[in-house]
Amino acid sequence: MWAGVNKLQGRNSLNLIMLTLSDVEISNTGRRQDNKAEATQAEPGSTSMTVSFAATDHAKPQFTDSAVQDILTRITGLDLQKVYRPIKQELKPPTYKLMTDEQLEQAVELAKERAKKLLQMPPVLQERKPISDVLCEDKILDGMDTAKYAFTDITYNIPHRERFIVVREPNGILRKATWEERDRLIQVYFPKEGRKLTAPLLFKEENLKLVFSQDRHEDVLDLCLVQFEPDSSEYIKVHTATYEDLDKHGKYDLLRSTRHFGGMAWYLVSVRRVDGLIVDMLKRELLQDAVSLVSLFHMVHPHSESAREAASQQATGTDLLKIYAQRDSQRSGYIELALQAYEQTAVEGSAS
Amino acid sequence: MVYSSLLLKKYHGGHVVIRFALAGHKQANRPFYRIVAAYNKRARDGKYIEQLGSYDPLPNIYNEKLVSFNFDRIKYWIGCGAHPTKPVAKLLGLSGFFPLHPMTITEAERRGAQMETETETEESPKEGQKQADVES
Repeated sequence: MWAGVNKLQGRNSLNLIMLTLSDVEISNTGRRQDNKAEATQAEPGSTSMTVSFAATDHAKPQFTDSAVQDILTRITGLDLQKVYRPIKQELKPPTYKLMTDEQLEQAVELAKERAKKLLQMPPVLQERKPISDVLCEDKILDGMDTAKYAFTDITYNIPHRERFIVVREPNGILRKATWEERDRLIQVYFPKEGRKLTAPLLFKEENLKLVFSQDRHEDVLDLCLVQFEPDSSEYIKVHTATYEDLDKHGKYDLLRSTRHFGGMAWYLVSVRRVDGLIVDMLKRELLQDAVSLVSLFHMVHPHSESAREAASQQATGTDLLKIYAQRDSQRSGYIELALQAYEQTAVEGSAS
Repeated sequence: MVYSSLLLKKYHGGHVVIRFALAGHKQANRPFYRIVAAYNKRARDGKYIEQLGSYDPLPNIYNEKLVSFNFDRIKYWIGCGAHPTKPVAKLLGLSGFFPLHPMTITEAERRGAQMETETETEESPKEGQKQADVES
């Protein structure tokens, strides 16, 4: 029926929209996580989207690896006060419950489980390649009409990524719709709550600057997550702009204990500008987090000087930080000072 | 007589068609069609069996006319022996689901011929004007 249509190749591997950690663990059994020289084979049933870089013999650890996810969740932290802070919701009179201590503990445990679910990280994907498939060229129809026809398939139970959306141009070419047209038409026929047909004006650069000056990065990222697909170029642009601004002003604490902290940490590690984040962690005396961040850095960039030296010395804890501060960081002075201060406080604490 | 398949021999006696039904008739000068499987003798906008899609004949800000088809259910109804009408068959042909309707091609050729005659009639008075300008 479809004249000359080829089924989109490899679509099954693109069927992830929201990652859950359980999916990550299932898909990553057998995927190696350290940096020994072994070539990975792409598993046919894998749900990961990113392609391993073939520049070196060993592939980079991806965002979806369970070790990486563990580190990122540990760094994100779990501040119940921030996760359950008052937000705008329907106004109802408050409910009061009389509980024993045990019941209170159980309620807190339940709240922690729910908070862990709320802090699930949105996926970090590569930018999607533009679609430019021409299904049919009918020169006879040239000049038939002044407008394009956009045909959408409304069948209910196909995933949106596999839906057929086709455009017949006035010059008779029948082509597959571009990603922007696809997103728009899917929103028309299958509206998602919170998503608008035209992107909110908030995402323009001038407006972004204003919002960043008001310290509302989290709201911007939430809106972006709702509005755009995770592999669209606008999503990636907005996220990079937000992370750059946070890095410039050192406002990492705004995102701590939200779902976006992992993404920010991953971005900073990929761009190799972890110094600001480490400095912030040391200021707030989160030494374990700083250590895990540096180990993540070494996992992702195994060829950097600090990574090689750390591997040769098998360093752990504060030694890792010292090696990193000496070799790869630009603000080594501050990191070493903070380390000395931490050691002094530790010595005083143990002495007294 | 129109062939009506054995699968659709219910009380009605008529056959099922896939056709346009005008929706939103409370708004003047703003047509919007539903693509609908209905019995032949029913009113155009009356009770239908199932809605299979929509067609918006006025182009939007991106110069697109939005058409939607529920291909799964269209295949079912065609399998049951429903007949599509001419405009529905044309749209299905344009979308690629059916082969191109012969009237689409004929209309395209007729429009092409009309455009050619228009350009000829435009050119000849223009040439007459140019000659007049040259002479004067």
